Amino acid sequence: MFKFIIRRVVRAFVALILFQSLLFTLIHALPYDVTAFTLAGPSWREFMQRQLGLDLPLWTQYFRWLGKFLQFDLGVSFQNWPASVSQILFSRISRTLLLFFSAAILAYLLGIWLGKVIAWRRGGWVEFGVTLGGVATYTSFAPWLGLVMINIFGWYLGWLPYQRLVNPNVWFNAPVMIDSLLARMVVTCVIACGAFLVVRRASQSIKTNHWRWTSQAGGIVIIGFGIGAWWSRSGLSYLALDVLAHLTLPLATVVLLSFGETMMIMRAAMLETKHEDYVLTARAKGLPDQVIRDRHVARNAILPVITRLALNLPFILVGSLVIERVFMWQAMGEIIFNAIEYQDIPVILGILSMVGILALIAHILLDILYTYLDPRVRYIGVE
Amino acid sequence: MLEEGSKVSTREKLRTYLLHRWVHRRWFYTHWDLFIQQPLGRLGLIMIFIFGLMALSHPILMKTLWHPTIFDPFVGFDTAIMPHPTTPSWRHLLGTDNFGRDVLSQLLISTQTSFSVGIIAAIIAVTISTLLGGMAGYFGGVIDAIIMGISDVFVLLPAPILLLIFGLLLRLEWPMVAIAYGIVTGLGGQTIVVKSHTLKIKVKPFIEAARAAGGGGGHIIRKHILPGLLSLTIVHAVFTVVGAVLTESLLSYFGRTRYYLSWGTMIWIGQQTFRWFTLEGQWHVILPPALAIMLFCSAFYLVGRALDEVFNPQLRVR
Repeated sequence: MFKFIIRRVVRAFVALILFQSLLFTLIHALPYDVTAFTLAGPSWREFMQRQLGLDLPLWTQYFRWLGKFLQFDLGVSFQNWPASVSQILFSRISRTLLLFFSAAILAYLLGIWLGKVIAWRRGGWVEFGVTLGGVATYTSFAPWLGLVMINIFGWYLGWLPYQRLVNPNVWFNAPVMIDSLLARMVVTCVIACGAFLVVRRASQSIKTNHWRWTSQAGGIVIIGFGIGAWWSRSGLSYLALDVLAHLTLPLATVVLLSFGETMMIMRAAMLETKHEDYVLTARAKGLPDQVIRDRHVARNAILPVITRLALNLPFILVGSLVIERVFMWQAMGEIIFNAIEYQDIPVILGILSMVGILALIAHILLDILYTYLDPRVRYIGVE
Repeated sequence: MLEEGSKVSTREKLRTYLLHRWVHRRWFYTHWDLFIQQPLGRLGLIMIFIFGLMALSHPILMKTLWHPTIFDPFVGFDTAIMPHPTTPSWRHLLGTDNFGRDVLSQLLISTQTSFSVGIIAAIIAVTISTLLGGMAGYFGGVIDAIIMGISDVFVLLPAPILLLIFGLLLRLEWPMVAIAYGIVTGLGGQTIVVKSHTLKIKVKPFIEAARAAGGGGGHIIRKHILPGLLSLTIVHAVFTVVGAVLTESLLSYFGRTRYYLSWGTMIWIGQQTFRWFTLEGQWHVILPPALAIMLFCSAFYLVGRALDEVFNPQLRVR
């Protein structure tokens, strides 16, 4: 297992270097010269070229750039000049990650659950309805879906705020910064998920159905109560609720945009495993339908689904960037579209590298998860 | 003698040819039957057919029914109507936008763009992924390592963001969008999937039998590996159409393309004066292209899903 992880990480590192080289090649293949637009005369242009290192031969530039990248130095932004790109990105990345990861996890959970349901009831109206709905939201145009959500829930019904990250009136004289509060919320989420998993794992050993459900529900209530108490004691709960209210609509939109793909993949995988012999055995034993679906078919079907999920992660990221733009959520989406508008090449390169690194990390994590779940791959992978 | 002998051999050739034809047609008809049994696949096919009619009908309508100065999608202007974003009427079935152009005419000509983008992207992506993935799976070794290295890189690159950035410096035409999307998707995930599928086919007993019978590498690839990959190829092609059309719409929506008409451009124009469902607003400019994107992509997606079920017997209802 350890050997496998090492090997995977080395491969990923090579891929990252190649990816950076590709970016460098693409950007330098474009007909673009920053210094061409200066109005201050040729001497100033030469000075700018020297400052930015553009007068050096291409190879030197390439190795300098690669070396800087490996030290997480992505250069200096043109648009807001003295600020370095990594500063700008790191100031905003937590917000995008919050939206992206929560949307990805929710979309996967929803997609896997719905895929399970529609694979089990074939040919009925439930399957048609869910399939058509999932495909329609998956293929709908992202900005338009965002506008529809704003119109329905933000404008007509007036349930949720639909602009900006937070409400400035609520945050007037707030004791904390937005990003530290976001970090605190993420930590809370992680703790809650961990506690829930522990409770579930512990309650698996209880054999009686009735007591297992009761203990699970009790555990969830206790976790919820504990988190509520912690937040209300800290006195920041009104700010957290404000952030959550602003998060809801973009999150719902990204989930709607991306759950369809997972649903169809899960459905296909379920149908492939449905006719295995052990399912027949389970049926012959007289197990209830739900138990066969959840414990026997879904558990085995989920393995191939995990590898396919890695391939559509970048698309969820693109979706969330576009949706951030539509909802005026001040995060990476705002930076990327501003940079595109003002032709801010270092920021664009930095964002592309960041996207690549995120995708790479997700791939590695999913591969490791896959090997953890499927022992056969573990042993073949070491060979 | 010679004539008779050659006659026999011709007839023999003809018989073999017809037999092959018959086998292939039977292949087609069994699969067609399986496809047409699925209501959602049928629905998708009908929708694609309607979109095809829409794309073809534009030049015909321009020649016959529509006056070119009024209904031209780029420079048309209706002087009979004064305040210009008008709601649907009998004269303009989907109304006009704020430049006085007919929305239906724009919608129809954008359908042509979308079809072309989708089909070009699909052909390029599928060609690349089948060639490279098949080579990597069949030959293995150094070729496999090189191709998988390239795929590992391209799988990290979301095509929409890359194209947004390209559109920053080069004003993109739709063929460029289609080609770039095809290359990035083909080299990325699809090659990896095709390679793993080739590996699965390669260890089947009939490949070994073909090799024992004296078949060379080219013969095995042409007669056994490529037909095995056909189903995957068709499914990939259909899903590439969906991705390419969505990407092109996104690009033209953010104004990263040259000034050609597409559904994304129409939405962008309609958003200039955006007030929904109020009659003086422009809902009739935004709604048709948005629905068209959704229905077009849904149609291809449903067909892809139905084809998946046709080629993968385990997915069928038993």
